[in-house]
Amino acid sequence: MDECLAPARGEITEIVGGLSSGRTSHLLACLGGVVGRGETAALVDTEETFDPGSAAQAGLDLRRLLWVRCGSNREIALRAADMLVRCPGFALVALDLGERVPRLPTTMAFRLKFAVRRTDVALLIVGRRRLTGSSAALAVETLREGIEWAGPGPAPTRLARVRTTTRVLRARRAEPDRPPSSWWIA
Amino acid sequence: MSRFACVLVEHFDAAAVERCEPALRERPLAILRARVGDQNAGSESVPTGHRNSAPAAKIMTTLEANAAAREQGVRPGMTETEARTRCPMLLTRPWVEEYVASARHALLEAALAVSPRIEDGGAGLVYVDTVGLERLIGDPAAIGRRLVHQVRAIGLVPRVGLAASRTAARMAAATGSGAVTVIPPGRERATLAKVSIAALDLAPDLAATFGRWGIRLLDELAALPREGLAMRLGPPGLRAHDLALGLDRDPFRPWTPPPFWEEAQGLEWEIDSLGVLAGVLETVLERLCRRLAAVALVADALEIRLGLASGGHHARDVSLAYPMSEVKPMLTLAVLDLEAHPPPAAVIRVAISAHPIRTQAGQGGLWQPLAPAPRDLVTVLARLAALVGADNLGSPVLVDSHRADAFTMLAFSPPAEPASADRRRREAVPRQDDVLQPPPAQRRQRLALRRMRPARRVAVETAGERPARVEARLVIASAGPWRASGEWWDREAWALDEWDVVLADGALCRLARDRFTGHWYLDGFYD
Repeated sequence: MDECLAPARGEITEIVGGLSSGRTSHLLACLGGVVGRGETAALVDTEETFDPGSAAQAGLDLRRLLWVRCGSNREIALRAADMLVRCPGFALVALDLGERVPRLPTTMAFRLKFAVRRTDVALLIVGRRRLTGSSAALAVETLREGIEWAGPGPAPTRLARVRTTTRVLRARRAEPDRPPSSWWIA
Repeated sequence: MSRFACVLVEHFDAAAVERCEPALRERPLAILRARVGDQNAGSESVPTGHRNSAPAAKIMTTLEANAAAREQGVRPGMTETEARTRCPMLLTRPWVEEYVASARHALLEAALAVSPRIEDGGAGLVYVDTVGLERLIGDPAAIGRRLVHQVRAIGLVPRVGLAASRTAARMAAATGSGAVTVIPPGRERATLAKVSIAALDLAPDLAATFGRWGIRLLDELAALPREGLAMRLGPPGLRAHDLALGLDRDPFRPWTPPPFWEEAQGLEWEIDSLGVLAGVLETVLERLCRRLAAVALVADALEIRLGLASGGHHARDVSLAYPMSEVKPMLTLAVLDLEAHPPPAAVIRVAISAHPIRTQAGQGGLWQPLAPAPRDLVTVLARLAALVGADNLGSPVLVDSHRADAFTMLAFSPPAEPASADRRRREAVPRQDDVLQPPPAQRRQRLALRRMRPARRVAVETAGERPARVEARLVIASAGPWRASGEWWDREAWALDEWDVVLADGALCRLARDRFTGHWYLDGFYD
């Protein structure tokens, strides 16, 4: 994850994008960055799609990650995230909403905003579309740019890597420089 | 040097109730107990089942009264009516065994925080062996003040006497003018000379005998010839003489605390809602935590025992994630546990036991990143467990298997040491799997897979062996097969051909074909 797009503590950051656009890879990179510093992170996984194998390959220390599986219940996922951002000490709370993002009342969005500001937790929300509106300090959209295949013969036998880029949708502070494309190794 | 201290809490039954309801402390209070009485006679009597007269009626009599009630003339043994006549503002509470037992244990534990050798002298009475304490605490007055401080911390108001014998210490505590009374060595008889023999709590017949002899004070009793007393009154007379002289003949019986500390509360009403029960639990936990804090201990396990109106019991063991003595996280854990396992009937009694342990305070590393405080973490984990279920919460651990999505969940317990320490240790001892891992710089940029759980079976059209359509969606590009198999030596054998495909709508997904059945499955989407 580029430093300019890393979720800031005490703020809400949103990563949106379609399927296979690289948003989950960005999420893992953020979690890996936090856990790699010895801090503690939590992942609220609405649709239970988190793959521990991918995370371990990305160098994520799973012992420092609290994984909350919500059985595709978005209401429960929002409540779980609300509880976690009120617990001081977590460096990052990630909420993966998956493909169907619920409508969030403005009051709830402001509750989350003030909660993360008070506890100095970084809240990262990942989903198909934006959730918290103006409460988010930064919102980026991920886009896939290309795919590379690999294999010894003419027909590829394995996915090699995927290139993605990001577009800033909202930045409360100075808009970060347009980050370069990222390559994600399969 | 004084050898013994006596901690005395006067009017103990009333003090035990005041400890549970501190608002009663300044008001006249009487503890009542039902006594079976004769309808025709006002005097006390045992149940008279052999008579064929009218059934015996229950009469509420005063068992104990606090100091404010005694100032108004209320005395133990009075009927409730008589007591209310003397003191119209009198408040009454029924005698509850749990209150007295809890307060008695709390008093003993508070004394135990000052000296390791204490003796249980009865309800509201503790003898403390003070030998050697002068080097730790100071002179006898300082020891007495320490005892007063410890006992006040648990909600009781004591009087402390220090003397060379337990009897003299008790007399000093009972008759002293202040909270702490010290009798210098060798001055016991002189100090206690003018104390009434009623302070000895002698048997009624023995006290009556001394009364007929005209013995009113301790020095009068002490001056009686010992041989004559032995001839006329036997061993009780000799024991009374020893007490008057301030001598202890009974051996010291040290009290050892039970492995669990219990605090209980009997209820006058039935509770059938968890919200109301939480208030009672909080009250009981507050008393329990105050006891623990007074002696610098913490609890590492809780046992909640609820007495039910149906006659049974509902017991729950609440495991604490870390030893604690704070009411709030304990209450949260208890309530969440009872929400998940509610009592089957209305509750009429609440008892909470704690297993006390001593912990050593630790200091975090200077460069150690901030982590959730154990108290906050255990609370949020308990709430999340109630929300999503305990099985859906924790840290994933990969299983040593080539099977896809092989992991187990462990309870979340992040390592206390900083990540740099982990890294240094791993670098010092290279492991085989580290060799297979890419360098750290490459690990960050791994493509993530969004797994379908369980893998969804899909209809796939193939061209040759390559997938051409998935659920009628055109495959634009594909790579594979990547063959994997395992556990062929077992009944759980599996063999898959994995394909990475790009669909017409842009989705990049992983397919798996079961080589045993030929079925295709959608493992997940690369994202």
